[in-house]
Amino acid sequence: MTPAPTTPAPAANSTLLEVHDLSVHYGYGQTATRAVQNVSFRLAHGEFVGLVGESGSGKSTLGFALTGLSKPPAHIEKGRILFGGTDIASLDAEQLREQRHGGIAMVLQSGMNALNPVRSIRNHFVDIFRAHGHVERSQWAARATELICKVELTPQVLDRFPGELSGGMRQRVSIALALSLEPELMVFDEPTTALDVLVQHAVMNTIIELQKRENFTAILISHDLGIVLESAQRVMVMHEGRIVEDAPARQILENPQAPYTRMLLSHYADPRAEVVELPGFADRQQRTANGAARADGATHAPTVSPRTRRTDQPSMIVQNVSKVYPAPRRGEAPVRAVDDVSFTLEPGSALALVGASGSGKSTIAKLITAVEKPTSGRIRFGDLDVGTLNRRHFRRLHRDVQMVFQDPYSALNPLHTVEYALTRPVINFTGLHGTEARRRVLELLDIVGLNPVEEFAAKLPHQLSGGQRQRVVIARALASDPQVIIADEPVSMLDVSLRAGVLALLEDLREQWGVSLLYITHDLLSARVVTDNIMVLNGGAVVERGNTADVLRNPQDDYTIRLLDAIPNPRKDVA
Amino acid sequence: MTSTQAAPRGVDGVAPAGTSPTDAARTPSPALKALGYLGRKLGLFALTLWAAVTVNFLLPRLMPGTPADAALSKLAQNGPVSEATKAAIEAQLGVPTGNIASQYVAYLHQVVTLDFGISYTFYPQSVGELVSAALPYTLVLVGLVTVIAFVLGTLLGVLAAWKRGTWLDSVPTLVGSFLSAFPYFWTALLLLFFAGYVLRLFPTSGAYGPTATPNFSVEFLGDALYHGVLPALTILITSLGGWILGMRNTMISTLGDDYVTFAEANGLKPRTIALRYAARNAILPNLTSFGLALGGVVGGSILVEQVFGYPGIGYLLFNAVVNQDYPLMQALFLMITVSVLIANFLVDILYGVLDPRTRR
Repeated sequence: MTPAPTTPAPAANSTLLEVHDLSVHYGYGQTATRAVQNVSFRLAHGEFVGLVGESGSGKSTLGFALTGLSKPPAHIEKGRILFGGTDIASLDAEQLREQRHGGIAMVLQSGMNALNPVRSIRNHFVDIFRAHGHVERSQWAARATELICKVELTPQVLDRFPGELSGGMRQRVSIALALSLEPELMVFDEPTTALDVLVQHAVMNTIIELQKRENFTAILISHDLGIVLESAQRVMVMHEGRIVEDAPARQILENPQAPYTRMLLSHYADPRAEVVELPGFADRQQRTANGAARADGATHAPTVSPRTRRTDQPSMIVQNVSKVYPAPRRGEAPVRAVDDVSFTLEPGSALALVGASGSGKSTIAKLITAVEKPTSGRIRFGDLDVGTLNRRHFRRLHRDVQMVFQDPYSALNPLHTVEYALTRPVINFTGLHGTEARRRVLELLDIVGLNPVEEFAAKLPHQLSGGQRQRVVIARALASDPQVIIADEPVSMLDVSLRAGVLALLEDLREQWGVSLLYITHDLLSARVVTDNIMVLNGGAVVERGNTADVLRNPQDDYTIRLLDAIPNPRKDVA
Repeated sequence: MTSTQAAPRGVDGVAPAGTSPTDAARTPSPALKALGYLGRKLGLFALTLWAAVTVNFLLPRLMPGTPADAALSKLAQNGPVSEATKAAIEAQLGVPTGNIASQYVAYLHQVVTLDFGISYTFYPQSVGELVSAALPYTLVLVGLVTVIAFVLGTLLGVLAAWKRGTWLDSVPTLVGSFLSAFPYFWTALLLLFFAGYVLRLFPTSGAYGPTATPNFSVEFLGDALYHGVLPALTILITSLGGWILGMRNTMISTLGDDYVTFAEANGLKPRTIALRYAARNAILPNLTSFGLALGGVVGGSILVEQVFGYPGIGYLLFNAVVNQDYPLMQALFLMITVSVLIANFLVDILYGVLDPRTRR
């Protein structure tokens, strides 16, 4: 990399960025949303700082303000952002544009869409070179190749279009593009959030490597305290627009001061540990040994008894099931999404289905719910042969087998109230009508802990938080009084602090109602706390299975080990 | 400095088999891909063309009776029709002979040789002559104006979206939506009355002056252009607003896309961002509407040509329908179908050029 030509080599520990009493508002006056309030901090040359907070904490708003990318109605209400002694806010558009070379660069949250779909990767580089004129025309090709190699991609990628690259590759390209500006400060806004676990791990490693090698100053914005603690030297914790704690990473880990930081930390644990406890969850094995219920807090005992006696309900039996999709394009091999998978889901048990994206987890969910038909093998549920079920018998299956989807934001029709969303399945599956149906809907809301029920019944989805929405989705799945619930990544879209509550709810349903749970996830920690047994999938095939705690504590298969290694582990250095 | 070449392919670990894009051996070269795309589109075009031609053959035959029957039953209202009259009318209008297969073969042969028979209305001119005389006027007038309206409207839309909230946005948007709310013929009548009748700036009808003969001389072309101004203006005024609004709206949405924000974060020049990032992507959905508009060039000009007495396809079609001129109608309907197909084909090719995602 050519050294940044504008500034002489800075002395270590000299201030690069100084934010002084910064407030960023959306809108003006009394009704303004105060996204960032009175934030002050200093950043020295070469630091790697993490900025952590849950959704709505203002961390991205702060990131956009720092990079001069705030768009109306967001605006800097007061305060200064001094970068190299100049106030960012005082620059006009052209000055701001010019300072982006050798200044502040940003890698966006949804790196998947950060590239122009109709422009080749090479042209993305050329656009930047042309805009700043910092690379000789004759050097364009060489420089682009050099940059793309820095992020561990091959030069062939340059002649491809964004649509031809995987999510992880696109995010790498974004990083290479930001690097091409020879920035002093890099702001990474949730750079790996939309990526698969293993890819996420690989991309984070690249970022950490690059930061050490290229020696730029970096701010890593993330909702995941684990990722931040693993990579950053210093961590700022943001909550409701304020920085509630700003300390070295080790200190945050060992001696967190702010209650909010302590709360965030409490939701992290190593799934490999002997004893795994989360807020609201005592260790599973101890629990089952003592026959005792959950430790404290989040316990919500359903007040309603199940309608069905589940003493001798059938198991879901999957035998040697494969699903092969035809080749996506001519000349390619057919896709074997599920490869000879067998398992039995016993009544009242909880089975985790774990794997990275593309491992076939969701396809199995589709097969069990008869959305897709298996290419070979059998799926039986009681006297139903799920694999060959025709449409007329779907209702019988779906009365007993229900799904909870990953994204609570798109699983509810935004135009209908919660009551409507729950009334439909109640009428369809239980035959209740009028006031009886309504009473049942309110019961369901009570079961999932949305109190006061009357109030929640009348709400529209956008008036609910993510966690509340997911509870509605679970209530909807319960409406038919099912025996099996398939939860496909039910908490992956939720903030950490909300996850435990939803998981505890699933646990309650299983323990007190005898509902069996197929828990599909890539999150091994949550698998450890809610399930008894686990199956690890890779490329559609089961590579490892057994007792959840045993498998995670003592993994045998290489793939399982890689999955475990990919989990951000803040305590890695300490241990 | 050294660059890391290690583990270039499997960095992201779990790229599912068969979709690894770095695998150069598996993907054909861009030129081959483009050729494949063109071939597929051409094949599809040929297939739909054949289907359209066949439907055009079948439809009239699915209707009960023949043109001769219709003419005879009309005559029969005024008294009995003699055998001689009947024979004469059947000879004039033609009665299908042979089985349907041989009719089909004969029909295909006629289509290929562009032999659509003799027009009833403009007897003894052949349908082919009539159409080839009218087609250039429509193609040049309506076709050219449609293209101009699209280009101009798109440019104004880009400007409006880029300068959102300024007068460059509000004026074209407001005027455009105001003008496009006018019906075609109303605008045409207003123009005729003021520019043609009151101010006498432009001729009020025809494609050329009464004394001119169609040829490629400068005088004639100038005369034709002069006659074309008012109809062209009508079409431009009524269609421009739609293009402005369409482009403005899609571009405002692409301006909010992540790649535009990222381009800004990378300090690209505003012009590059506006044209190569925002506008370039915003134009894609509008191409579909453009294809529809192009396809409508031949068939959709009836009102304008009627009001201005402009001797194009629309004018011809109107006369054919009014006079129950079956051979002419059949030929025109086929032409309208074919022109829609050609327009769609062209837009498909354009998509292939502009959007790499379609070239699979």
